[in-house]
Amino acid sequence: MAEATEFDAIVVGSGMSGGMSAKELCERGLRVLVLERGPEVVPERDYTDQLAPWETKNFDNVSQDEVERHYFRQYPGVPYALKESNKDFWVKDDEHDYVEAEGTRYEWLRGYHTAGRSIMWSRQTYRLGPQDFEENLREGVAIDWPVRYEDIAPWYEKVETFVGIAGSEEGLSQLPDSVFQPAFELTEAEKAFKRGVEAAFPGRNVIPARVAHLTDATEEQRSLGRSNCQLRNRCHHGCVFRAYFSSLNATLPAAERTGNLTMVHNAIVRSLEYDPESNRVSGVRVVDAETNETRTYTSRIVFLNASAIASAMILLQSQSESFPTGLANRSDQVGRNLMDHVSGAGAAGIMRGFDDRKVFGRRPGGIYIPRYANVTENDKPYSRGFGYQGGASPLGHANGQIPGIGREFKESHRRPGPWRISIGAFGEQLPNPDNRVTLHPTRRDRWGNPLAVFEVRYSRNEEIMLEEARTDAIAMLEAAGCEQIVSAPVNLTNPGNRIHEMGSARMGRDPAESVLNGWCQAHDVPNLFITDGAFMTSAACQNPSLTYMAFSARAANYAADLLAEGTL
Amino acid sequence: MKTRREFLRELIVSVGGVSALAACGDAPVVVATATGEPGRFYTPEEMELVSRLSELIIPRTETPGALDVNVPGYIDGLMADWASEETRAAHRRALTEISSRLSANGDFLALDETGAEAALAELDRSAFEEAADELGGYRTFKGYVTRSYFATEGGAREELQWVGVPGRWDPNVVVSDRQGV
Repeated sequence: MAEATEFDAIVVGSGMSGGMSAKELCERGLRVLVLERGPEVVPERDYTDQLAPWETKNFDNVSQDEVERHYFRQYPGVPYALKESNKDFWVKDDEHDYVEAEGTRYEWLRGYHTAGRSIMWSRQTYRLGPQDFEENLREGVAIDWPVRYEDIAPWYEKVETFVGIAGSEEGLSQLPDSVFQPAFELTEAEKAFKRGVEAAFPGRNVIPARVAHLTDATEEQRSLGRSNCQLRNRCHHGCVFRAYFSSLNATLPAAERTGNLTMVHNAIVRSLEYDPESNRVSGVRVVDAETNETRTYTSRIVFLNASAIASAMILLQSQSESFPTGLANRSDQVGRNLMDHVSGAGAAGIMRGFDDRKVFGRRPGGIYIPRYANVTENDKPYSRGFGYQGGASPLGHANGQIPGIGREFKESHRRPGPWRISIGAFGEQLPNPDNRVTLHPTRRDRWGNPLAVFEVRYSRNEEIMLEEARTDAIAMLEAAGCEQIVSAPVNLTNPGNRIHEMGSARMGRDPAESVLNGWCQAHDVPNLFITDGAFMTSAACQNPSLTYMAFSARAANYAADLLAEGTL
Repeated sequence: MKTRREFLRELIVSVGGVSALAACGDAPVVVATATGEPGRFYTPEEMELVSRLSELIIPRTETPGALDVNVPGYIDGLMADWASEETRAAHRRALTEISSRLSANGDFLALDETGAEAALAELDRSAFEEAADELGGYRTFKGYVTRSYFATEGGAREELQWVGVPGRWDPNVVVSDRQGV
């Protein structure tokens, strides 16, 4: 039987946002095709979370030669997550090249397979706040968001109920509470730090990190084969308990059980075909990753969820007489305003008084200090702000880097040692149209698609902000009574390193200045929706996956409504 | 004895999931050189030195020592399979330096237990008190021994009381409980 090529909807990409788009569209009764450029991941076969340290080759370290040969960009960006037993979750740099404009750096950290990077993410999960949708307008930066917090709040709630987020209700206006399952309780040292910081800085809060882990699984979650987090800290390898959220653990199985989902792997989208008569995307042209053969799928609507960079590239590659600079690009904003979060400032110190305490279990997150700059404190020499992620844990014995041999040395490892707390900033990067991804004019990958060219630079605002974040971090550690405080000079992470790329097809009210409307629908092409990070009009400072999913669910239901009405 | 797969399947059922855990892949063969086998990286002399040093750094007590859990075999595997040429050369230089220092007053490997302990303790003290550059190789070696030991089943489970599936989070355990990590 010939493979079906006609669908109600095509979703390009099966990662964080693509999974949610597919789930919502399938649940609305649409026949959905998900195109995934990489191979299939089968949890029962490919997750390696069940391996104990002694069961992994080289104690799970990728060999040094292999790092140099295949992972020279990926590994330095994520040494904590790229291991021998899960290295296939990351692309090989020599097979997936890209170009950095002279004088700039970009880290494009990727996974090409079912569920994309949602398998290897670090699961920090936060809502944006009302201020995040208003500051562009208030400050005259870039363009205004065409939506406000109230528009997306119900969709956050819907998505959170499905995803499962461990967190604590705090009632903070800038970081609205989600629908929570019980939080992972703070350690005693973290509680002491919280008391110290909140007493010294009344506008600042230290709260448990909010993470997409089940701690009180609902019936719906259990019906998908998901169960509570087992505190193993093996999440970057997948999870046989399906306790943390990923497309493969949650949204794709939910889509599949509707009977409306078709998934095709190894299908790299080359371009979207455009029909000027109907002003619609008329087909999705793919190249088979294994055979290099091309074929076309058709549908009534198309959702791009290929990641902010890849979705922009697909549009740029889709040139026609009607759209000579790329599909849906009459505004010339496709590929521009590429943003990430910026780190590279923080501090650490010793918390005395807890040497007789340790922990049981390996929790997935520590503490979070929500943004206070330009929210509760308005005396800053920069705009926007940052949140800190961190935690306190026993220092232990540093892999043997202490004096002594014999029984005393061996048994010293039983003692937790002093507790060390560390915090690091995640700052907002301002949108800038000159920060962009474009197509290389001549260089192609092995499938004939153009290589990406990145040109992204931080602004003075990010530099000043991170210097201040370092100063603030030291001050908070001092206020909490830390000793031996250390803080390296600010060294900004390369753009892309936080793996939160966004903004490359921003939403806005005016088609002359933006690619998408407030429903993530292309101004120029009504049956085209983009709900990965590309739609973001500004970056905020919170980890963005939840926001991508909330906008995906909202757009999917909007599109389904339009189809039902016969408008599309 | 239950296999890991059987154990996990039972556990998943017990915590209420109905995950389609059909076939958790069995562990790949671990590439550690078996005890007594010739080294894939080490010469016989180097293997003897590494074995002696490992045993002195982490001896058998009420729990297994470094030799019991084959730390030298694991480090031999790391050098053969993980290390770059540069790392291998640095490791080899470190062993030469360590051997030379320890044998300044006679063959280290011929010393009795007390003598060997004293010689290594003195070297160790120098390496950490003075943080001497020329003893950086020893500090790195000690790191290999320690990390390897605590990553083996005996070191992790018995000495460190590492638990593969904690199943719960307790942020505040009194150390004397000797509870796992």
